[in-house]
Amino acid sequence: MLAIALSSVAGGLAYFLPAAQFAIESAGQVVKVPTPSPTDILLSPSPQKPALSPVTGAFTVLLLGSDDDSKFNADHVLTQSMILVRVVPSTKQVTMLSIPRDLYVHLSTGGFGKIDGAYSYGGPGAAMATVSQDFGVQINDYIWVGLLGLIKLIDAVGGVDVVTSHPVLDDYYPSDIASHSAYDYQRVAVLGGPQHLDGIHAMQYVRSRHGDLQSDFGRSQRQQQVLLAIRQKAKQLSPEDLPALSAALGGELKTSIGLSKVAALLPLAASFDNPDAIRQIVLLPPYTHGGGPGGSITANWSLILPLVHQYFP
Amino acid sequence: MISRSMISRFLLGIVLVVVMLAAGPTTYLVLASKTSKVAAPPQKPTASTPRPQAYTLPGTIYIVQQGALYSLSVGRFHQLTPEAGWTMPALVPDGTHLLAIKTNGRYSDVYVLNRFGSVTKRVTNNAAPPRNRDTGANHWAFYPRLSPDGKTLWFAYDQPKYGYNVIMSVWAMPLSGTIKQGKLWTSANDYSGGDVQPIPVKTGMIYTKYGYGPDTKLVGQLWFTNRARAAGKPLTSAGEDCRSPAVSPSGTQIAMICTYEKQVSYLVIASWNGSTLGARKAIISNQLVAQPIWAPDGSGIAYLAPGVPAGPFQLWFLPKAAYAPIPTASRSPGASPAESPSPVVPVKPIQVTTNNGFDATSPLAWG
Repeated sequence: MLAIALSSVAGGLAYFLPAAQFAIESAGQVVKVPTPSPTDILLSPSPQKPALSPVTGAFTVLLLGSDDDSKFNADHVLTQSMILVRVVPSTKQVTMLSIPRDLYVHLSTGGFGKIDGAYSYGGPGAAMATVSQDFGVQINDYIWVGLLGLIKLIDAVGGVDVVTSHPVLDDYYPSDIASHSAYDYQRVAVLGGPQHLDGIHAMQYVRSRHGDLQSDFGRSQRQQQVLLAIRQKAKQLSPEDLPALSAALGGELKTSIGLSKVAALLPLAASFDNPDAIRQIVLLPPYTHGGGPGGSITANWSLILPLVHQYFP
Repeated sequence: MISRSMISRFLLGIVLVVVMLAAGPTTYLVLASKTSKVAAPPQKPTASTPRPQAYTLPGTIYIVQQGALYSLSVGRFHQLTPEAGWTMPALVPDGTHLLAIKTNGRYSDVYVLNRFGSVTKRVTNNAAPPRNRDTGANHWAFYPRLSPDGKTLWFAYDQPKYGYNVIMSVWAMPLSGTIKQGKLWTSANDYSGGDVQPIPVKTGMIYTKYGYGPDTKLVGQLWFTNRARAAGKPLTSAGEDCRSPAVSPSGTQIAMICTYEKQVSYLVIASWNGSTLGARKAIISNQLVAQPIWAPDGSGIAYLAPGVPAGPFQLWFLPKAAYAPIPTASRSPGASPAESPSPVVPVKPIQVTTNNGFDATSPLAWG
């Protein structure tokens, strides 16, 4: 009987082995917070050290999305998408705050620059520390997804249902996925209205920045729409889907969230049913305005910080 | 000497060994069978006819899956074209032919097909000139419709455009002519997606205009105009965020999709007097509904919506009894959106297909 039980366990282990391998490689990444120069220490407050909260308490995650095609060296990519997500399990409230990629900030690695460069200078630790010090937010964990990772994730869950707010038409969309040259262009047309998007079209919808006047801000709104659609689809998944998902995502996802916390978060995610309990914030003017150095965006911290402290206490 | 008990024990041992060997693979297979199937590809409509108890719809519906046109008639699907970028079928007024769009990734064109899917005419030619490598030299044409007399083609076309500002505008041209004879009808808002989904009616043309609402969010609004380049007037408010107009066979009602600037969608109907919309009535509010179309005999409204939450879009039908009688009270389009939709009446939509995954960006045609 023991042998039969062991054989059954072995079958189960074999089934979940790809997921376990992926989880070990991707989850529980150690966050290395870079040390700024002595001058920077004098000029700015030290990055706050993330403190892990139990899942029963509120926690904040920094979502990072990057182009990781051949234009970039691995681990030195820009983060084209930075979204702070605060989850309050007790009230089932979720707040998403999109940080403009071109926001001109004090980087945790020293000096000033666009916030999308923080990751390229010091990895996820630098990105977390930069957001933490500039926005005054305690960040518990990060999740980083590469360009192909989002496509693969959405395809692995069978696509997502999205109400695209308007037709996204772009004659100069980067053709770095389908072309041999990472600098080629292609035309894309994602039409408006409710629809089922596969990974490629969802990526086109969230990545195009030429389709609306708000450029990166409009893109941030679209990214939040697709994130919510992925969350909705994730509710249909079962633990038995994990091997296929991990096989699809291999190498395109990294997170500091440990395996035990991932397991605890899955049922929590499914319990968030009320779309009205999800607050979406994009730092449009007057919170930010253009005209910063090198085409960057300047923050109006006197407006941003009270807003952030209200929703990310 | 071998006793019977020894034989029994030997056989039991064999059985246990077999069970042990089978337990591992069986566990593996049982776990694999419990996957959610969310990523299972949709079936082709012709792979299985609608469920035996499915509602048999009157006439013939034209619908799109994976770049192929299909017809559904008397409960049976027929594939009309290969999976080659076909979308947006529209019946010509006499019902003998279809208009449709064929996309190839860089541009799209209007074609005329017979009801069996054979191309009889290519109406536009939107590919960039030979040797022109500028991606912007290509053009999109979408949402073709013919005027009631069958002579004028209405469609959304990405001219004029300037650099990154690629927007659709509504154009009209003789079906027998070329785009050089075409006339620009609308002035689209810059960087908005533009003006799409023209529906020619007796008094003018209804279309969807995308633009920035008071809260700076991009929204859709139904507009009406009766003169080329005239400003026209909005039929719905920005807060209602509506699109996909469909005029009833009697010409007295309009069905549309309104999303109230959220990731939800309502199937809304309103009376139509030729220039203004009456009170709204939300008749589907619990599904992500898209592309409504009225039955040619007035017996109901077909639409696309997921069969399961967050799943691919299926064909549904809402019998007229679910939404009649129509509202008649008039209401100002500028009034505060109805931001909350009208009270929802109990409805019983019928799911016609279960696992097909139709293209929810393509209007349906029904004749």
